[in-house]
Amino acid sequence: MDERIQRSLYDYFKKNGIKNFVGVPDSTMKFFIDQGLSEKNVIITTREEEAIGIGTGFILSKSPTLIFMQNAGFGNSISTITSLVQLYNIPLIFLIGWRGYLKNDAPEHLGFGKIQNDLLELLSLQYKVITKLNWKKSCEWAIKNIKKGNPCVLIIRREHHE
Amino acid sequence: MNRKEAIQAIVKEIGTSPIVSANGYISRDLYETHDRKENFYMIGSMGLASSIALGVAIKNPKIKVYVFDGDGNILMNLGSLATIGNLKPKNLIHIVFDNNIHETTGGQPTNTKKIHIEKIAKSVNFTIAKISTKQRLVKTIKKIDKMSGPIMLVVQIQKSKKISNRVQIKPNIIHYRFKESINN
Repeated sequence: MDERIQRSLYDYFKKNGIKNFVGVPDSTMKFFIDQGLSEKNVIITTREEEAIGIGTGFILSKSPTLIFMQNAGFGNSISTITSLVQLYNIPLIFLIGWRGYLKNDAPEHLGFGKIQNDLLELLSLQYKVITKLNWKKSCEWAIKNIKKGNPCVLIIRREHHE
Repeated sequence: MNRKEAIQAIVKEIGTSPIVSANGYISRDLYETHDRKENFYMIGSMGLASSIALGVAIKNPKIKVYVFDGDGNILMNLGSLATIGNLKPKNLIHIVFDNNIHETTGGQPTNTKKIHIEKIAKSVNFTIAKISTKQRLVKTIKKIDKMSGPIMLVVQIQKSKKISNRVQIKPNIIHYRFKESINN
């Protein structure tokens, strides 16, 4: 996803009430994170579960929060999602970078890239893959979800490999 | 002192301050001794109590936020100490009940017989104290305002003889009543 849209994504969330951006960096969303960092409005954590924990503390304090991570980190977080986020109804937005979307991505990403969406289905976590055309609608959908108290996922694809 | 005695001694001194309590016997002991709406009982996601409390502490700088953690629990999320030490919330008080074992799962050893969590915490900007008696624990909590946060108290405890009941409140109720108890 190009730089301009990534930066707009951050601005859109901020304008629409998301106060906190917490996560582990992923090059797939470098410019999204950059945009938040330039406003000193990002907390970088050591692991993804930690980000979900801090985000939960923010939600308990009535402060809307987005958690970002690479899909490898989503894999790390599965039991935290089932035993904290879903069990306690913690309405977080997850922004997940889809490594392994391209078949020629780095080899360490191919395995998880393949099972990522099946895992989301298994978890009954609602998700949308964002594109150049649908990103605004997808963000609106995510904001609506958390207002209803539901956690949800937006996926950002890694569309090039260098 | 066992964990339940330590928990009772602390909760009596801290008024309505929120507590995030780790999964396992820690939350069970807190539930059995002092159920209050300001308690966020974890019943899973081991290791994350200090992270959840960090989020609460950042958003509520005027109130003291307590973490009731265990040695096995914090060892699962040591990165959390680095993040807390970096953000330096003055109002976060991290209490680690240290019995050198994973008591809830049957008493298997943790690393804290040889590894000192308070030394790790000190190196990442915590104000620390190691406590082994109830008298000293109460004294420390009473003067906690004079210490500068983030604070870690490692409280050495003995294995409990009696097991507390499981938390009987539904997780979403734990969530909502905790949220409503904080006036931010």
